[in-house]
Amino acid sequence: MIITDLEKNFSQFRLLIDRMVTKPGTIYGLIGPNGSGKTTALKVIAGLIKADRGKIDYEGLVKQDITMAPRKPYFIHDSVYKNLTYPLALRKIPPGDGLVESFLSLAGLSGREGQYAPSLSAGEQQKLSIARAMIFGPKLVLVDEAFSNLDMESSLAFEEAIKVSQKKNPATWIVISHQLANIHRLCSHVFFMDEGNLVEFGEAGQILFDPKTPKLKRYLQHLSL
Amino acid sequence: MFDALDAGLLNIIITTMKVTLPSSAISAVLGTALGLLLEGSQFYGKRIIVRINRTLMGSPPVVVGLVCYLLFMRKGVFGFMDILFSVKAMVVAQVMIITPIISGMVYSSAERNAPNIRSFAHTMGASAGQTRLLLIKELKNEVYFAAISGFGRAISEVGAVMIVGGNIRGKTRTMTTAITLLRNQGNYSEAIYLGCVLMAIALCVQLVADNLKGKEAVGDDNY
Repeated sequence: MIITDLEKNFSQFRLLIDRMVTKPGTIYGLIGPNGSGKTTALKVIAGLIKADRGKIDYEGLVKQDITMAPRKPYFIHDSVYKNLTYPLALRKIPPGDGLVESFLSLAGLSGREGQYAPSLSAGEQQKLSIARAMIFGPKLVLVDEAFSNLDMESSLAFEEAIKVSQKKNPATWIVISHQLANIHRLCSHVFFMDEGNLVEFGEAGQILFDPKTPKLKRYLQHLSL
Repeated sequence: MFDALDAGLLNIIITTMKVTLPSSAISAVLGTALGLLLEGSQFYGKRIIVRINRTLMGSPPVVVGLVCYLLFMRKGVFGFMDILFSVKAMVVAQVMIITPIISGMVYSSAERNAPNIRSFAHTMGASAGQTRLLLIKELKNEVYFAAISGFGRAISEVGAVMIVGGNIRGKTRTMTTAITLLRNQGNYSEAIYLGCVLMAIALCVQLVADNLKGKEAVGDDNY
């Protein structure tokens, strides 16, 4: 995916990304202070917000290849099973061969497929949301702080599942998180945003341990890995 | 004491249902479609349309009845249809009263919930048709509540059906117009009896509708 001269203006905020390039099959972290435009950038990429100017070249990807696990996921008024299999139903993919069971297990919801999804706890909802985003094999996955409500065990389980899934079905991931440990374990490259701009980009190790710009240094100063 | 009333009661109940059930059903379809269409459309003057709809939600039934009367009277625009003082005219009048109520309620709930549902559908890769289907499914409780409110308004409405129906015995006399007539005659006990029957019918219809809708699990939000 190649983003060029992307601009989105709000009354008090302007998102301006001169250039952002992602390679297929790579997991990217997107970090930055609150209000830096991370979520807006993800929503523009997902097509939920229309940019005022600029271009996003999805390099052949269509809407059906792109998904997003948002900070506050929406669940249809139905069971865990119906929610998990909703993207499969849309694509008429039969939910067989242990596919659903494996994702239920990943979300820690085995045996609870009949439960009313909106009644799940916040952490369980996040896990179900990520599992739902992964189940149909998307090519571009956008994750907005979906790991923030997960306990360490669940977080590690998802990271492992994503890595395994990357081997079978490589996808581009862009993960927003303030948990730098997550970013460090999961992402190979990291974008740093501040005040609506992409300030720094590089390999995860370089961004997290050897920041170049004063803004990134200041951001990392108060965070620990 | 209620013999005379009982003899005509069945006819009155049937007439009431002949008016309220079709008018509620037509209004539910029209109101839901209009509410969703209004929410999903962006056009110049939308706010004015929404405001007009809200005004019509509280339109006095006697005024609507009068408008219908003028439309369907012999010299009226639709006088050629010859439906004044018939059940058909009463249904039309009630549709005019209830449709804005249902469309307003559906619009209001869709305005709150539809953006989230649309965003979700988009991120799942749903097509426009699949998104519309999901919207209706997800808003079914709100649509149901709006339809039931419309039915409640229809079955309790008296002003419009009195004007366009004429309260003709055995033809256009409904329970509400019969109660009004009985009160005018000083037959309070019979009026109360009929009122109780009316409320029992409203309860029965709602119970049937509840059963048709089916139960939905209700759980705590993020315990």
